[in-house]
Amino acid sequence: MTSDDADQALIEAALAGSVAAWEKLVRRYEGRIYNYGLRLTGNASDALDLMQEVFLGVYRNLHRFRGDARFSSWIFRIAHNKAVDMNRRNLLLRGHGFGGDEDPFAGIDADSALEPDWRLAEEQRNAQIQTLLARLPLEQRLTVELKIFQALTFEEIARLQEISENTAKTRFYTALRKLKSIMEESHVLP
Amino acid sequence: MSCPRTSHLLTEYFDESRSPSAREETERHLRQCPDCSNELSGLLSVQESLRHWEERRVPQWDRGVALFRAERQPELPQRRGWILQWLPTAASLVMLVLLVFDAEIYRDESGFRIVFAGAGTAVQQAQLDTRFEDFSTVQRQRQEQQLQQFLTRLDEQQARRDLDLRQAVMSEARQLGAENFERIYSYFEQQRQLDMETVQVSYQQLLDRDFETLRTMQQLAGVMQVPGQVQ
Repeated sequence: MTSDDADQALIEAALAGSVAAWEKLVRRYEGRIYNYGLRLTGNASDALDLMQEVFLGVYRNLHRFRGDARFSSWIFRIAHNKAVDMNRRNLLLRGHGFGGDEDPFAGIDADSALEPDWRLAEEQRNAQIQTLLARLPLEQRLTVELKIFQALTFEEIARLQEISENTAKTRFYTALRKLKSIMEESHVLP
Repeated sequence: MSCPRTSHLLTEYFDESRSPSAREETERHLRQCPDCSNELSGLLSVQESLRHWEERRVPQWDRGVALFRAERQPELPQRRGWILQWLPTAASLVMLVLLVFDAEIYRDESGFRIVFAGAGTAVQQAQLDTRFEDFSTVQRQRQEQQLQQFLTRLDEQQARRDLDLRQAVMSEARQLGAENFERIYSYFEQQRQLDMETVQVSYQQLLDRDFETLRTMQQLAGVMQVPGQVQ
């Protein structure tokens, strides 16, 4: 059974009322969505909120999933829309979007002092990536996320963001150049 | 970056779906152009740095299971809830019927039987009336006793309050003569007596009404006596 077949079987069982199938479906994707949220929002609290909103969206629209696209593409479409909505809401309520406070330590847990060195190094690396991504406008950040972390093609990204393929390519290139320039300034890159 | 082709070339470079010929052309140019080559190397380093992201574990959450159970499996909990909700009411109703109709449940060779007062071998109406009379007499005596105790306490309380009041009036109006004092005293005493009588009459009426209600219920039970049996 392929991964897509397994998704389809779980969806059908969940629609028939199986709570176990629903839970398994969520478990298969929650890690990807949560980490997507962490990179996009820059903090664990917003990432958790975003993940919950995404799965609520999946739950409400599960009966609409026809299986003509992959479930992973479908869920990332929902995630993308929720992220855009949430960023807009943050702009309205807090006066800044995701990563607006630019806290370079946002990804580091307060109790991580008790954790081993390798774990701290991981946290710091993640925090650095979050800080970098936070410097990009949301649409570029989303393009980088979908291209690098979700390994989507430009065609898929274009469809998801409702832009042309050329715009998607340009956004990605512009984002990489900007990140390169920031990393050079902060001497991360030679 | 001074090569005029860098921007276009690198924008296309990350598109894996480009044709093999386009890919070959790009590679050829990169081998010849240090500007584009350097720029690409920088961008690939950025991409590589981002790929060092370490996946974080998802914090504990309920995965929407509670919502799923509430909305997609509503029949079972709702049905159980409905039964539980009505169970105390049904039990109260059964108890009321058993008490009001003086029902008796017993078992004989043909199974369980419920017999209401007045039916067949059950308690006869006269016996029922006697039982009720006994009950109501005892209850009435007890309540009248309690009422008397209450009225005595109330009377004492009133007397104490009146005394306080009279003392207050006296201290406020020392210039009043003995004649006026007597007049005020008798007025207070008269009012107190009247108040006590009113209270006593009211309580008595209340008590009578309570017993009247009980008697009506007893009569109703007598009228509705239905011989019946449930097996």
